[in-house]
Amino acid sequence: MFAAAPARAQVAVVDTAHTFYHESPTRSNMTVYTPGVDIAVTPVPWITIKGGYEADIVSGASVSVKAGPAYQAVNPGADVISTASVNDLRHSPHGAVILRKGDVTYTGQYTYGTENDYKSHSIFIAAKTEAYEHNTQFELSYARNFDLVCDRTQAVNDRAPRFRALEDSNGCFGTSNPLRTRHTLSIDGLQAAWTQAWTPEFATQLAYTAQLLEGFQSNPYRSVILAQGLKAQEHHPENRARQSVSARANLYIRPIKLAVRIGARVYRDTWDITSGTGDIEAERYLFEGLRVAARGRYYKQGGASFWSDDYTGGDPPLGPKGQYWTGDRELSPFSSIAFGLRLTYNLQPTQGRLLGLMTGFKVGAAADIIQFDYDEYTLAGTPITNARAFIFGLNASASF
Amino acid sequence: MRTTTFLSLIGMLVFVASCVTVRPQQRAVPADPIMPFAGDPPAAAQLRHAIDNREGSYGGGGVSGGGCGCN
Repeated sequence: MFAAAPARAQVAVVDTAHTFYHESPTRSNMTVYTPGVDIAVTPVPWITIKGGYEADIVSGASVSVKAGPAYQAVNPGADVISTASVNDLRHSPHGAVILRKGDVTYTGQYTYGTENDYKSHSIFIAAKTEAYEHNTQFELSYARNFDLVCDRTQAVNDRAPRFRALEDSNGCFGTSNPLRTRHTLSIDGLQAAWTQAWTPEFATQLAYTAQLLEGFQSNPYRSVILAQGLKAQEHHPENRARQSVSARANLYIRPIKLAVRIGARVYRDTWDITSGTGDIEAERYLFEGLRVAARGRYYKQGGASFWSDDYTGGDPPLGPKGQYWTGDRELSPFSSIAFGLRLTYNLQPTQGRLLGLMTGFKVGAAADIIQFDYDEYTLAGTPITNARAFIFGLNASASF
Repeated sequence: MRTTTFLSLIGMLVFVASCVTVRPQQRAVPADPIMPFAGDPPAAAQLRHAIDNREGSYGGGGVSGGGCGCN
């Protein structure tokens, strides 16, 4: 199983990946198809040039006006929740250069993202070095995003409780529509990682990740009922600092030829969201080249300090929470559990090339299901009990 | 105080790591495609792209990539 194929310099590698995401919880649904392709060329050993493209094709319906049980109780018989259709297409080309000098690798990447209501320019740089006879690896990376978010122009004298939600993405970019404005969102991300091989069968990785966001972070399309007759655009703080520490371990169990991966992450941010994540994956070869893996993941988070299922009143934890409000279920306390399977087939000829061209070919498929359990998020008092996401992935890679 | 203790512990572990030697002839297992931390990196990236837009947390999977209005 571990007999190595003859060493070959890979001059070019072409990867393609396709992901299908679907969920249909109460009163909403979302389907996202994400195709992507990447090409990496290594003309000489010390430089690799990469280019790629990814898209998100989004279709569905989401909650556009959020209300809670206290408001519904005061307005019986009325449908206080509104949904709106969502159709969007995001294009994201990217390019990167990787330089190698001795044990050090430098990476620089630029990513552009464009959709009807969002523009993103992202710069990424990273440095990685190996030490102690290549058993230790240190990596430091930094990313900076210069993003623009479309929003509705608000009346000059209005304040946040009077702000109106964005109706649609028409006229967001490229026109001088007076009813459209653009907010900036700056994002700085930093990650430091230490990877260590302790024995031939056991390795660990420890990573610290931090992110600073400054700018418009609300969903401009979503409104929240704040009081009788008062519906306001979602209003999040403009500053957010996020930190996480993650640890992983890889263990190869020789007697049963099984690789086991265990991971854990703790997270906290200045919106008072804390979370813990645990995941485990087991993988083994069925026969030469074909691997099968099974994975599980558990996630639990607390809600943001300004989260409330109903800002109009009710007993705690309902009620107003200061100057910010949100209808985003991802900022509420919830947990999730995920299970998945993955198949990967890797073909590397020991002599010659596949079809006279390829030095190697890999194809993979994965399927995951995630069940979400929201502790407090409801739609006018109706809990979401069928929040389940299905994720299917296909990927292929050819090297030349 | 807690940060200092944590950083000191990491420093000690890195020092201990300098004593570890996995010889080149023992690298068949670490070099095998079954051993990367992400399992299959493209598949892991696909799953992370979906999960990151459904949770309030972030981290551990790298910081590269552009932003999106994915909420």
